Amino acid sequence: MSAMTVDATLTNAALAAVATVDDPEIPGVSIVDLGLLETITTTDDGRVTIGLIPTFSGCPALAMIASDVEAAVVGVQGVEAVTVNWLAAPVWNIERVTNKARKTMATDLTVAVRIGDGPTPCPRCGTPTVEQSEFGPSRCRAVHRCESCREVIEVMRDR
Amino acid sequence: MGRTWSSMDDFEAFLNDGGMVEVDDDMPDEYRTAVFRFIELHANSELMGGLTERDWIPMTPGLRHKMAVLAKSQDEIGHGHLLYMVAADLGVKTRREMLEDLFAGRSRFHNVFHYKVRTWGDQVAICLLVDGAAVPSQKAVYKDCSYGPYKRILKRILAEEGFHLRLGEERVLRIAEGTDAQRAMFQQSIDDWWWPALRLFGPDSKPNDRLARWRLKSEKNEVMRAGWVQKFVPMLHSYGFTIPDPGLTHDAQTDTWTCGPIDWEPLKRTMAMDGPDTARRIAEASAAWETTRWVRDALDAAPAGAVA
Repeated sequence: MSAMTVDATLTNAALAAVATVDDPEIPGVSIVDLGLLETITTTDDGRVTIGLIPTFSGCPALAMIASDVEAAVVGVQGVEAVTVNWLAAPVWNIERVTNKARKTMATDLTVAVRIGDGPTPCPRCGTPTVEQSEFGPSRCRAVHRCESCREVIEVMRDR
Repeated sequence: MGRTWSSMDDFEAFLNDGGMVEVDDDMPDEYRTAVFRFIELHANSELMGGLTERDWIPMTPGLRHKMAVLAKSQDEIGHGHLLYMVAADLGVKTRREMLEDLFAGRSRFHNVFHYKVRTWGDQVAICLLVDGAAVPSQKAVYKDCSYGPYKRILKRILAEEGFHLRLGEERVLRIAEGTDAQRAMFQQSIDDWWWPALRLFGPDSKPNDRLARWRLKSEKNEVMRAGWVQKFVPMLHSYGFTIPDPGLTHDAQTDTWTCGPIDWEPLKRTMAMDGPDTARRIAEASAAWETTRWVRDALDAAPAGAVA
């Protein structure tokens, strides 16, 4: 994320507000921790421009996320106007998901995150899981099974 | 290997102490069957709901709502998929047996999926009233659920259903601000879907319900139903719509809305697989299963690792 700014205090306050917005389908996980925030700029007269990238371009939650971000930032002291843009580049990838978000998803939602082609450990017992289906309830998730504890888990991944 | 219990009393004492049952545990057969039936009903309902949602993808107005319907359809089918896996792990029926039973009309799905969805107004009413009934019901199951694998899946399902509810509220706002024709269409949808959605909670809970004792339910049906009435009557009134219940009463002192007498006959008919749209819905689900057979055959025929 790059922060080109003239007023670091306002930018930091706006950034903190963006970080309070959770993914609409993953309560407890901020869109910032999912790696959706790409740019945030502020001007002297309080105009904030936020650039987000989607996990996939057809994601149906884009309008909701943008309006949640706008609502969060417009309430920040000193903010006069907020513009939220969905950027075409860079393309989101799974490595943008922070360790904090990975941990929350694993412990609270038994959702694992797969990096590259390596094995995906079961969020419950750590055993490598086996893919059952390339797609789960969302385009960005597959369905795996742990052959040790038999848990059915969803795996967030970027292909 | 899992745990064993010497008797049902022993097992119920374990549940009473807040114990969680896991898939490898040697649970009593009555509990295993009850959990299985519960999850199978849920899985069937997700699948039937997802298929109807799919029917509406081409007919949904506007790209934004179309994307939402696409995603909701995938969500519901995905929920069904996860639930069928968890149900099959109980060893009562395989996933294929569950689907065959569903398509043969031998197993049940929720009453609201036995009705015909005629208009976009119906889709909006379903997103508001039916999802608005399903979510608190699922929350009440999740809250104290004694079967671990189901509880963990429910948590994820509920996170996504919360997103659907928000979409429903957005759609209602839009239609409420629409033309006279759109508002009339939505009023008709409220009239058609109010009672089926209300009956989704089922009749009043019986005292000493074993599903409550086994912690598969944590709230009485009548309490959830009353909460639903209390939420949606003022909301729909505030948008200028009417509620099709001549017996509806309002206690001004406590500001509480209470529904009139409930006719349970339609619920009995849907439970007997004889609802207004039951036969067509099952035939369509069965046809969808048949027309995708080649995909399953191709996946089964592919060498391991070739399809990933």
